[in-house]
Amino acid sequence: MTWIVWRQQRPVLITLAAGLVVAAAAILLLRAGMVSDLQTRNIVDCVRDGTLQACRGEGPRAFQKSWYDLIHFAQLLVIVVPALVGLFIGAPLFAREFEQGTHVLAFTQSVSRTRWMATKFVVAALPALLFVAVLQLLVRSWVNAAGQLGPLAGGPYYFSTFDAQGVSPIAYTLFAYTLGVFVGALFRRTLVAITLTLGVFVVTRGFLSTWRESTIEPVRVLSNELTDPYAGMGPGQVVKNTGFLDAKGAVVTDVNAAQAKCVPNARIEVSVEDRTACWQQNGLARSFREVLPFEQATTVHLLEASIFAGLAVLFVLGSVWAVRRQA
Amino acid sequence: MSEREHPPVVAENLGKKYSRGWALRDCTLRVPAGRIVALVGPNGAGKSTLMGMITGLIRPTAGRIAVFGDVPNGRGMHPAVAFLTQAKPLYPQFTVAETLHYGRSANPGWDQAYAESLVERARVPFAAKVGTLSGGQRTRVALALALGKRPRLLMLDEPLADLDPLARETVLRTLVEECRTQCITVLLSSHVLAELEGVCDHLVLLTDGRVRLAGDVSELLRAHAGQPGMQRLGELALAYMRAEVAA
Repeated sequence: MTWIVWRQQRPVLITLAAGLVVAAAAILLLRAGMVSDLQTRNIVDCVRDGTLQACRGEGPRAFQKSWYDLIHFAQLLVIVVPALVGLFIGAPLFAREFEQGTHVLAFTQSVSRTRWMATKFVVAALPALLFVAVLQLLVRSWVNAAGQLGPLAGGPYYFSTFDAQGVSPIAYTLFAYTLGVFVGALFRRTLVAITLTLGVFVVTRGFLSTWRESTIEPVRVLSNELTDPYAGMGPGQVVKNTGFLDAKGAVVTDVNAAQAKCVPNARIEVSVEDRTACWQQNGLARSFREVLPFEQATTVHLLEASIFAGLAVLFVLGSVWAVRRQA
Repeated sequence: MSEREHPPVVAENLGKKYSRGWALRDCTLRVPAGRIVALVGPNGAGKSTLMGMITGLIRPTAGRIAVFGDVPNGRGMHPAVAFLTQAKPLYPQFTVAETLHYGRSANPGWDQAYAESLVERARVPFAAKVGTLSGGQRTRVALALALGKRPRLLMLDEPLADLDPLARETVLRTLVEECRTQCITVLLSSHVLAELEGVCDHLVLLTDGRVRLAGDVSELLRAHAGQPGMQRLGELALAYMRAEVAA
């Protein structure tokens, strides 16, 4: 049975293999070029810490101008490939058989429909999953090499970094693939299956990526810098809220009333120190900001992936039903 | 009772209703083992629906059907049955040799030497892609695939429909020779009644979704002896179909 599916999927496998060779060569070459550029410009330390004094000059800016978009594009590739797997491997898997009538051939052999289906499902999925995993690792090594000069400066919740990292690409691929398989087995038309897979995939992904940040409990960071709630903040932080605490440590509800007393009558410059002192007299003891903690990123990855995996299981069960149903 | 003793097909009050109406109704019949059964009837009489229900591709709306004692379901066809439709679905991108490999992988009881000999006798090149074969060659490959699994019941739905007269003759002759020597029960549907003459020894005549006539050919002919235009199988079937249209 494995041989049959391998033979049927041969063009897809060749495409995947060729695509992987080209992608790997391109990424490794670009990465090597980028690393030598880092050394030429003498900004290797900025990869680790982008806030260094040496990382503010013309050199790092020129470096980012030539490399940032390329790295970002590679991350987007990791995000797009799962959808392509669903559209071009998942959706036609059964839809094409039904469309060409070859399902009659498959259904009238001695092997059961379930075994035929399971073999097809697994043999077609494994190379695609391997492709996504290898691509993800290659891109990840490139992104890491750029460090704080690349997309990682945006923090773990930056959309392209989050989506192209951890278990997410594999979870998206499983979701897209099983969705395609199910829709294809249900409607038995390749074009319908491809269209529906694309639509459902984009809507679900979009919805869950806006939803996932709401699952994170923000952490409150206190600061004595009253006038600038973002003071001393490291790169990549996602600030959900800012505000003030009074002397007892309670959140000040009416900030405007406190600040209004410190607005001068005439149009004169008020120094930061004077304004801070005035605000403190009016009950604004400390400022705070609420940020998404970096260390929760893994939990969010797992949470989102488990939702996609759950949907994938439902699609697999749906496919079994759809293939085994009789006319 | 062992499986061998079950007749190939037993149907009781079998019926299938589509949204447009009944395709087959109150069909009660028994296909005896070792016979070559002609399944005849005008277009839309329910021949393909009956075959579909035997394979398990179609679910009956009413009644019961058993194939070698088992009820066909959506999990897969009975392993002792082989089915060949008019469309002869094969993977066009496979070569002939790969198509036989397909049969070997998908059927535990596969007889590779026998399937190869059938293809060789048909002089179909093994390296040719199925998509490039002529209609007659495709049929011979599909037949090798069907017979290679060593079935005890072979169903053929209009297998000769798209072949030229010469190819029809060869294919039919091969078919009959193979099935007679191996005692395979054959259920053969065709529009060309003359072809079935001398080939089939059992008749099932469907008209308008119902069984009009079923039984051993020589017995049926004996029963209709003396009636003009009913001396042969084809004439007999045609007479019944005409009567149905007139009614």
